[in-house]
Amino acid sequence: MSDVPFKNPGWAGNTGEFDLTEEEVRGDDFVGTRPLHGGHASGAGTMPFMLPETNPDAKLFEGEYQERFDKILTRYPDKQAALLPTLALTQELRGYVSAASMDRVAELLGLSPAYVRGVTTFYTMYNKRPVGRHLVQVCTNISCSLCGADDVVEAFLRYTDTELGETSEDGNFTVIEAECLAACGFPTCVQINSRYYENVTPSEVPKIVEHLKAQTDGDS
Amino acid sequence: MAYPYVSDREVRLLSTYFGDPKQRHIETYVKRGGYSALEKALGMGPDDVVEIVKSSGLRGRGGAGFPTGVKWSFMPKEKKKAHYLLCNADESEPGTFKDRELMRWDPHQLIEGCLIGAHAIRAQHVYIYCRGEFFEANQVLARAVEDAYAKGYIGENILDSGHDIEVTVHQGAGAYICGEETGMMNSLEGRRGEPRIKPPFPAAVGAFGKPSTINNVETLCAIPHIVKNGGEWYRQWGTEKSPGTKLFCVSGHVIKPGNYELPLGFPLIELIEDVCGGMKDGNALKAVIPGGSSVPLINAEEARACKLDYEGCVDVGTMLGCASVIVMDETTDIVKQVRRMVDFYAHESCGLCTPCREGTTWTAQILRRIENGKGTEDDLDTLMEMTQNMVGTTICVLSDSVAAPVQSSIEKFRDEYLALIRRGERVGAA
Ligand SMILES: Cc1cc2nc3c(=O)[nH]c(=O)nc-3n(C[C@H](O)[C@H](O)[C@H](O)COP(=O)(O)O)c2cc1C
Ligand code: SF4
Ligand code: FES
Repeated sequence: MSDVPFKNPGWAGNTGEFDLTEEEVRGDDFVGTRPLHGGHASGAGTMPFMLPETNPDAKLFEGEYQERFDKILTRYPDKQAALLPTLALTQELRGYVSAASMDRVAELLGLSPAYVRGVTTFYTMYNKRPVGRHLVQVCTNISCSLCGADDVVEAFLRYTDTELGETSEDGNFTVIEAECLAACGFPTCVQINSRYYENVTPSEVPKIVEHLKAQTDGDS
Repeated sequence: MAYPYVSDREVRLLSTYFGDPKQRHIETYVKRGGYSALEKALGMGPDDVVEIVKSSGLRGRGGAGFPTGVKWSFMPKEKKKAHYLLCNADESEPGTFKDRELMRWDPHQLIEGCLIGAHAIRAQHVYIYCRGEFFEANQVLARAVEDAYAKGYIGENILDSGHDIEVTVHQGAGAYICGEETGMMNSLEGRRGEPRIKPPFPAAVGAFGKPSTINNVETLCAIPHIVKNGGEWYRQWGTEKSPGTKLFCVSGHVIKPGNYELPLGFPLIELIEDVCGGMKDGNALKAVIPGGSSVPLINAEEARACKLDYEGCVDVGTMLGCASVIVMDETTDIVKQVRRMVDFYAHESCGLCTPCREGTTWTAQILRRIENGKGTEDDLDTLMEMTQNMVGTTICVLSDSVAAPVQSSIEKFRDEYLALIRRGERVGAA
């Protein structure tokens, strides 16, 4: 009947390990209203998205990650189509997609390194160099800009003590401008790792920065 | 309900459950009548489903407004190869924020629409290409897909109908151009998301070389309602040529920005003054972009005459696009905002076509020069001429999208450009 040789139980690679608990995603207190202070749970839980590349020579995927990679391969008619999810998985694991990682991915999928390089550099979400633990992307596109996004960028730069596009000395923050994040009715929208912070105003920035710092202090 | 803002002028079909997290549970969705349209559709032949959608007059909500039923009827009826349905959830047009809300509040509505669409075009696999930045929507959808598999709404022999349909949620990786239908197909295949030259059209050679149809999230979300209640029922809202309801994403200088579901043909000025509570800080209205950053902007006077449907927007020299209403008040620096939009296109151009790759960058640079007081009046002519050369000369319409804000703003707000230029000239003379 169906002439597609693969089965598909959902989002490529999602085994659920890294995501929110059932209550957090579905509980009645989840999202709902949009309070005017930044950090409400608008997004999914922060994934282990910004881990630094600790051992570049190690095998790319092992254990849980190998399983997720295998699962990704089952979802598409050919290996090439698995490239984007595989790169996303690489970034989740290593924090960014280095040239060496790209070569590994090429090997795994039977593609040429140059081809993988070409695809990786096409997309903005793959960090081609290391970024801070918190990648702060402030939308400065038209709707946010009309409502003062430039001041929000300024505030983030001041309170994280960085320059646009650079990473702070403690390795905590990289602040960049982003294109429209599709939350234009709730300006200014800021994406920090995988989460959206909406209705952010400059006066809330110190609170958000402190909150994020506290998170990573706890980690290390 | 507490969803940011609601208005009693709304007709909520697709957005009924915005703000209600229970709607994400499959049990709740089914209890509220969900998946009954799927059952009905599976009991009918694919062509009959297409007929219902045709009779409703539903037009694609992704921007172009092409009638959905007609688009579906282009798919081959003889099934020699696999067919695919692609759901366009790559929402990234500046000003647009409806698809994300539809996915994260009511994921099953979308899944049901996808399944009915797949049945109608004889597709056995649906890919929902979800914008990469939407981690939350991705999660919510993925979970909903799993639940629907578990309950037998997706997979083999759905509801004992003998039909098999698979659904995959595919996460994008950050590129506006992947919202263009052929760019999306390339991206799904693991390539750079560069658009393809048409023909061949997707209905002949689409994703993975197979016949494919691409529909926007909002389009597919309307399908269950139409199949359940019939085409005539849907036509009770909207106009003859633009039937039904539409989500309007209002952003910018209004008191209550947000998503409002209104019948097509709704007067723009009432949307701003009544539904959205009027202008912020009591400022005067200066300009509106009614359809996302790719359509021409209109001034206050035109806005007062504008009816929000596909034809009504054309009457005042603009387009409905994806109904992303960006409202600007008298304090707005038009030149800066236009430059910001052009910066966006310069960033997002995939680089295949020279007029687009070079044109976007140069346009942004000239606008920046004017903004910094270093422009001349000749620059305005150069901008008009250059953007004119970017229309109709490229593979996709991203290039045309740059011309819209630039040309319309120079026509309607020439004084603002001139003020910047003259101020610069005085500074230079002194
Ligand atoms: C540059 C460009 C970007 C686009 N982005 C989107 C998008 O983000 N979402 C969308 O639904 N359609 C987008 N479109 C329109 C799609 O190409 C396509 O027309 C639409 O998804 C068809 O669905 P519909 O018939 O339901 O409207 C874009 C088109 C172009 C040219
Ligand atoms: S018009 Fe621009 S975005 Fe579209 S294909 Fe050409 S270069 Fe790429
Ligand atoms: S303009 Fe900022 S989210 Fe769209």
